[in-house]
Amino acid sequence: MSRRFQLSSLLFYTLAIFAIAATAGVLHLLRGSLSTPTIALFFLLPVGASAVRGLGPGLTAAFCAFLAFNYFFIEPLYTLVVHHTQDVLVLIVFLIVAVTISQLVGQAQSSRAVAEAREREATHLYVLSAALAGLRDYSEIARTLGEHLQEVFHPTTIEIIIQPAGHASPATYAPLGGSGAPASQAEHVVLLTTPRGKMGEIHLGKAQALSPANERLLQAFAHQSALAVERATLAQAETRAEVLEESDRLKSALLSSVSHELRTPLATIKAAATSLRSGDVPWESLARGDLLGAIDEEVDLMNRLVGNLLDMSRIESGALKPRREWNILAEIVGGVIARMRLAAQRHRLDIDVPEDLPLAPVDYVQVEQVLTNLISNSLKYAPPGTTIRIHARPTGENAIHVQVSNEGPPVLPEHLERIFDKFYRVTAADRITGTGLGLSICKGIVEAHGGRIWAENLPDRFAFNFTLPLTLDGMAPPSLPVETEPV
Amino acid sequence: MSAQPHILVIDDEPQILRALRTILVEKHFRVTTASRGEEGLALAAANPPDVIILDLGLPDLDGTEVCARLREWTLTPIIVLSARESERDKVAALDQGADDYLTKPFGIEELLARLRVALRHSARAQNKTKATVVKAGDLVIDLAGHVVTRNGAEVKLTATEFRLLAYLAANAGRVLTHQSILAHVWDPAEVDSVEYLRVYMRQLRKKLEDDPRQPVYLLTEPGVGYRFMVD
Repeated sequence: MSRRFQLSSLLFYTLAIFAIAATAGVLHLLRGSLSTPTIALFFLLPVGASAVRGLGPGLTAAFCAFLAFNYFFIEPLYTLVVHHTQDVLVLIVFLIVAVTISQLVGQAQSSRAVAEAREREATHLYVLSAALAGLRDYSEIARTLGEHLQEVFHPTTIEIIIQPAGHASPATYAPLGGSGAPASQAEHVVLLTTPRGKMGEIHLGKAQALSPANERLLQAFAHQSALAVERATLAQAETRAEVLEESDRLKSALLSSVSHELRTPLATIKAAATSLRSGDVPWESLARGDLLGAIDEEVDLMNRLVGNLLDMSRIESGALKPRREWNILAEIVGGVIARMRLAAQRHRLDIDVPEDLPLAPVDYVQVEQVLTNLISNSLKYAPPGTTIRIHARPTGENAIHVQVSNEGPPVLPEHLERIFDKFYRVTAADRITGTGLGLSICKGIVEAHGGRIWAENLPDRFAFNFTLPLTLDGMAPPSLPVETEPV
Repeated sequence: MSAQPHILVIDDEPQILRALRTILVEKHFRVTTASRGEEGLALAAANPPDVIILDLGLPDLDGTEVCARLREWTLTPIIVLSARESERDKVAALDQGADDYLTKPFGIEELLARLRVALRHSARAQNKTKATVVKAGDLVIDLAGHVVTRNGAEVKLTATEFRLLAYLAANAGRVLTHQSILAHVWDPAEVDSVEYLRVYMRQLRKKLEDDPRQPVYLLTEPGVGYRFMVD
């Protein structure tokens, strides 16, 4: 680029000399009809025109014009000798005027060039900072900066590394083959720094050194980008703070729910145990049996609550990985019913789970828990004496659809989605026991199996539905060659 | 076996030790307690118990390792105690030779029932005799004669069905893990093919249970395996 610059300035000098020569030629032809001062004035025209191209060409034109004027138009002609004092004065005045004009014009030109360069810089900076505004991702910032640097500086290589202090992995942008400029090239390394410290660095490979103006522009780019990185860092910290706050909020909801739910059975147990110890309750009395029964039941309740909490925390931490094996759904349902028989003695159970459903690739214990939670939820809300129905069928889409429905009250449509949320209750907390975790655990387990869970109001019933995919690692349920011949 | 069966309880929770000691002594058992694995192993060697109750969450040794080291020299029945969140440890301990498990918290009737099964097993292990005929309710399984009758009528079983039933009945009352059943009845290479077990168990229940959906002999131990119940 500076080579081109040299060529063009050489051209301007040549042009200045030609302009003077041409003017001298034309004036020489017309010299009979022009007075000497008029000729001098005409010579100022090419001087001014040349000065537009810079101070150098202007001064060159001024001196050439002075010589040509003296040589061709001042007596004695065709010599540089001057006889008359008046002519000497004319020549001196001419020289002073020509030099002054070229200086003034040249200065005006160069300050305009500086102003233009400044304006260009300002425009580049503005465009860059507009593009960087609102970016929250380090690699986005690196890419945006890189693209602008390429557009403005046309580097041969470019590498941008964004790594604020304390940030583990850097975001880099190196579209032209990364760092390591060839040895023949100058590599410009600029650090992105803010008062908070280093945010990253720019490596720019160029054939030659940068001009001072470009050097300055590069620094300004670096500064803008550093500020953008800092903004992104602060924004991320803010997001983290919000997430923490949200999780704090959930934790305190959990704590208040848990302490309420755990304290209720604890109160019962404490009352019953102290009463039994006090000796006030006769050995062979109904009260004694009642108190012991209450302790036993409340302990089971607490055990379920603690179990739910553990499951929820395992789901949240992603530790609840289903151990999927080919299972018979009817066997799982049978196990659940056998264990819940006592709890369900005030309801009727209607079970329709065909023995010959395809084998389902599920975690036995987890699906058992989904069914247990859904049935126990149904038992809680459906009036005694009504029927709880458990129904399973294959769907058309390679899955099993299970429905647990009850004759409890319908749930308002706006609650249907949310009843699987943690701590979400349709009924006031003091009317129904539980942590508000049972259904969200079901959701966690079903989704970990790749299935879907939802609730719906049927014409005369309320139903929980879930699906379980029938494929395991892309494999369909095996149909085993079962022996039929007795020995 | 002396008149008072001897139980060794290995658990690091003093409250559990206290409660179990009180209850078991009340039920006419002789009780020894240990709060560490090494101590338990030493006590088991010094004064062989009839049944060992072993907690899996010991501070010094892995419960699975205690099982394995006991099984190096004794067939004394081991009942492991585990928390609900340590399913895998439970299965590992059973695979290492433990006979049964209880999940904390458990009712004392449950523990006593398991102890009764274990003591029967212990007596058999000491007599070094294998029962050749197993009776359970209306079922009679003649292991040597390969004959199964239900209410006196012979039940036709396929070869695999019989092998499965025979393995479960020979270990009546014990929890058998999927892995151990698959290795014994099918092939050690098939230990991950639980589906075989599920399907054959369904067949067996259809032939042997009054209500195959609510079995009383062939019980599922969720996530662990199966157990053949005699009483």
